[in-house]
Amino acid sequence: MFRKIAVAAGLMAASMVAPAQAQNYPEKPIEFIVPWGPGGGSDTLMRIVAQGLADETGQAVPVINMPGVGGNVGLAEFAKRPADGYTISQIHEGLLISNATGITDLNWNSFMPIGLLASSPQYLTLSKNDNFSNFEEMVAYAKEHPGAIRAGVTLAGVPHLHMAMIEDALGIQFSYVGYEGTGQRIRALVGGNIDVAIGDVSSAGQFVENGDLIFAAVGTPERTDDEPTVPTLKELGVDADLTVTRGVVLPKGTPQEVADQLEAILAKVMKRPDVIEKIKNVGSEAVFLGQEEYKTYLGKLDATVGRLVGKLQG
Amino acid sequence: MLDAFLAGAHQVFAFDTLIYMLIGSVAGIVAAAIPGFTVTMAIILTLPLTFAMDPLQGVSVMLSVYVGGYTGGLISAALLGIPGTPSSVATTFDAFPMARGGEPGRALSLGVWASFFGTVISTVILIVAAPPLALIAVKLGPWEYFSLIVFALTVVASLVGNSLMRGLIAGVIGLGLATIGPDPMMGRPRLTFESDILMPGLPFLVVLIGIFAISQLMSEVEDQGEKSGQALIPDSIDFKTWAVMREVLMHPVNLVRSSLIGVVIGALPGAGGSIANLLAYDQAKRSSKTPEKFGKGIADGVVASEAGNSATAGGGLIPMIALGIPGSAVDAILMAALMVHGVSVGPRLIMDHPDLAYGMFVAMVVSSLMMLVVCVLSMRLFLRVTDIPKQFIVPTVMICCVIGAFALNNRVSDLYLLGAIGLIGYGLKSLDYPLAPLVLGVILGPIAETNLRRALMSDGDWTVFFTRPISAVLLVAALLSVIFSVRSILKMRQKNRPATDEQDGD
Repeated sequence: MFRKIAVAAGLMAASMVAPAQAQNYPEKPIEFIVPWGPGGGSDTLMRIVAQGLADETGQAVPVINMPGVGGNVGLAEFAKRPADGYTISQIHEGLLISNATGITDLNWNSFMPIGLLASSPQYLTLSKNDNFSNFEEMVAYAKEHPGAIRAGVTLAGVPHLHMAMIEDALGIQFSYVGYEGTGQRIRALVGGNIDVAIGDVSSAGQFVENGDLIFAAVGTPERTDDEPTVPTLKELGVDADLTVTRGVVLPKGTPQEVADQLEAILAKVMKRPDVIEKIKNVGSEAVFLGQEEYKTYLGKLDATVGRLVGKLQG
Repeated sequence: MLDAFLAGAHQVFAFDTLIYMLIGSVAGIVAAAIPGFTVTMAIILTLPLTFAMDPLQGVSVMLSVYVGGYTGGLISAALLGIPGTPSSVATTFDAFPMARGGEPGRALSLGVWASFFGTVISTVILIVAAPPLALIAVKLGPWEYFSLIVFALTVVASLVGNSLMRGLIAGVIGLGLATIGPDPMMGRPRLTFESDILMPGLPFLVVLIGIFAISQLMSEVEDQGEKSGQALIPDSIDFKTWAVMREVLMHPVNLVRSSLIGVVIGALPGAGGSIANLLAYDQAKRSSKTPEKFGKGIADGVVASEAGNSATAGGGLIPMIALGIPGSAVDAILMAALMVHGVSVGPRLIMDHPDLAYGMFVAMVVSSLMMLVVCVLSMRLFLRVTDIPKQFIVPTVMICCVIGAFALNNRVSDLYLLGAIGLIGYGLKSLDYPLAPLVLGVILGPIAETNLRRALMSDGDWTVFFTRPISAVLLVAALLSVIFSVRSILKMRQKNRPATDEQDGD
């Protein structure tokens, strides 16, 4: 407890003199609040980034998992932390959806987005079934039998949004079954308990290779290196971008110099070959969008979410 | 296959790997022995360290933490009456009375040997039958899960203690507590009364620590009157390792049945050690010729509960190695460790990396041997705990509980919850309510709800629960289990009627 008070006092003192010290940022450990549980996609990726940050700056970057209510518990706590650059956190598309569906008052612009770091291409994945075995057949079947295709999604989560985008673009209708997390969805898909789901290479790739599942389409603008034979949704006439992007944010009110320095450090981290390779190994892609581009991306995405929010509240 | 096996064994038996595994084993046992700290936490702490190791080396170290952890929970369960991990709730029922009865050495040795045999049996099943078992496990849909949980809920009947009515009330309180917080499907808040403390719900571990640890510690304090300043169990550092091994092997049916329960429950993603621990205990009690001795320090109870939870370690690896689907949170972390090394875990793991898969089998066996060696060698040290005067041990354990509850989610509000739940647990215990049904309700409630809702979203037809064969079998088993329990309770009541007053209104 005393240590905590001491740390808090230290952080406060640091935040008061932050502008003067900005040149030397970071000169002490940076706490990285990951608002999800250990072992998931965000956690694994952010541990790789934290390791890279520590290697790049020479300061420790302890990852602190604060899971709960779809990431909102950790972010609510993070929003209260001193805005001095020594506590950082991470967001993804889920925050925008939680905000739109009223689960949290926080949104992307409640924080200072610093850099988008990793993007995970999402695939429309089909189970082996008698009714359809590719994208066109699925669409045809869906048009004939509205609501007959069972889609596994995290209700009011990112996969739900992605399926709603496909529904919206094609004018078809799925019936939704709630599954938490990609692992659970892929399991249900392999077991034949659902018909379609959003999957990724790391969780579903080997099942596809084995012939147990089918990647019908990928949600990236261009075909991916991992699965070059899978067509993009754009090629199939669906204008929708299905990726999960994860980026680092600072509390609002952090001095701009600190934000700029963190941005520069993160840009370097994302160029480190070991970081790039580890991120690729877990099925994602290391990318980097700085503050302005990241904000533009989030703003555009927010508009899409706002348009489709009605579909997510069923 | 032999080549791959040898290649895997060769890597596991490297000197540095064995040293790391030994450290991992000790770390797992110690972490699990401290109430409030869990195996999962110990493994998360190991994860970054394995980034610098070979994939198999890293996984072997994590497995040694895992296997050690399933045994470590036994230590505080037997000596303090507090489950060291969620997987050792049922272990307290008999190991603690046995230790209090003056045989702490026997209670620990029984648990350690049962854990060892449980892990070995589960590893054998893993090696022999992983692919077919995994295929069955993955076919099970929400209907089967729901029916399984209904069956598991009937275990309450074995845990009710002195009064059926109070046991059922405790179970219902548990189910009720589990509904607080975001609902498991949509994340909508329920019963949170706009309070920040209740918003994330009641974390299961906080409930467990609050209910068991705090109430137990309070009664230790209460108990001080005549024996003030005394140790928990004086003068009993005495154990016979080999005699106890023979004793465990004298219960072969119980050992194998409990291990099988552990393997099956472990292989079902989403269930886990805590359910296996309770189910194995329940089945041992039901098939015993002397069920009335359960709860008073019978060897069968210790063997069943510890073999049951340890066997989930091998069981959890079944879907992971065969299909790349994690059987538990710990398996998910193991998978993440492999993926960071560029090993993609999926149905092709055994084909693409046979040395890794077979190496993991070898590592499981080595880990259980290490766990055994570490436990036997350090038994004397653990038993010393019973010599420490209460005024030192009670506050120390309390501090560990509080730190553990905080470390779980790094939320200060969880500590207020811990205090409140601890008071509730203490109150219930003082009124002679059994606490295990409450915890069972908290564990099973959300799984039942999720799968019921999932089943009805997949197909609005209720009859599917009866037309899917495995689901139907489980529901029938649940019904039989209730009938059996009611009959045996009625019988016992008839036997007791002349002797004792019936004071319950049930």
